[in-house]
Amino acid sequence: MTKFITKLLTISLLLAGMLVLSSCAGLGPVYQKVEMVPDNVGLVYIYRPSSFVGGGVSYDVKVGEIPITTLYNGGYYPYFSKTGEVEFWAKTESKSSVTLDIKAGQTYYIKGTVGVGFIVGRPHLMVISSEVGEKEIIECKLIPEEKK
Amino acid sequence: MKRNTSYAVLCLFFSFLFGCTAKMVVTPQMTLIENKDFHLTGKVIYDGNLEYLPRTITDDSSPDSILIFQYTYNVAYGRDNIPQLLPLYNPLSIVGFPIGEDTLAVVGKLDILKRKEVIKSYSSTCGLEKMRSLFSEGESFSELRKKGLIAVRDNIELQMYEDRNSLSQLN
Repeated sequence: MTKFITKLLTISLLLAGMLVLSSCAGLGPVYQKVEMVPDNVGLVYIYRPSSFVGGGVSYDVKVGEIPITTLYNGGYYPYFSKTGEVEFWAKTESKSSVTLDIKAGQTYYIKGTVGVGFIVGRPHLMVISSEVGEKEIIECKLIPEEKK
Repeated sequence: MKRNTSYAVLCLFFSFLFGCTAKMVVTPQMTLIENKDFHLTGKVIYDGNLEYLPRTITDDSSPDSILIFQYTYNVAYGRDNIPQLLPLYNPLSIVGFPIGEDTLAVVGKLDILKRKEVIKSYSSTCGLEKMRSLFSEGESFSELRKKGLIAVRDNIELQMYEDRNSLSQLN
């Protein structure tokens, strides 16, 4: 029985490792602050710190019905958003959403994670303060446009 | 059969224990009044969603307006204190034990100004807390935020309604 559990654990760890590695492939350079924010828009950093849990799962983050990026493990995406009340959401087997009051020239941070699900990991979006977001995003890598 | 029943009982137990609806606390505590037939008119300074603006104030942008209403709100998000790895190895997750927690606080403030001087302020705070389980994610942050902003709006309306006698003399 112990042998079986050890084998099962090894296989699941190997699979998880492979998924984590495969999901990281193709990400761009490490975080660089966006210096210029165009007029009349706000800057929203959508990021996902690298994590073992749900590392192989990626999901689309949308505004309305428009996907703005696919959030990969360890990735980030700077999004220039229209001002006003804007809802960002993601869905796999369950839906998660956050709403921001975007003001022109302001910067916001949305952190995505993956939680436990029945069949597939569930997305979880959170609004993070600038102080925390600035620190957590540092090790994330840019999600290229073609990976959107 | 017996095992299935035990499983169902456990699921029900944890579902009842942790609940799936958000817990909400609004301060100051006010007595609910359905028909708040009272409002003040003046210049409203507010650039957010009109749904969250207390309905006891009406915008009158004419230069003759004596009163100015300035409404602001702030939404603060709490951090999920349940480690991500815990639910993965917690056998109780499968019977409805919490896999995450969402907390949020909304603060609303209404300043009433007369001749550029604040003559009255109303504020209200709403705290929301919700547990997530495998069976129920419950309300999203967007829904919690909306619920909080509406609760804060209603609370300020009630506070103004209580002061209606003194407030009606301001116009």
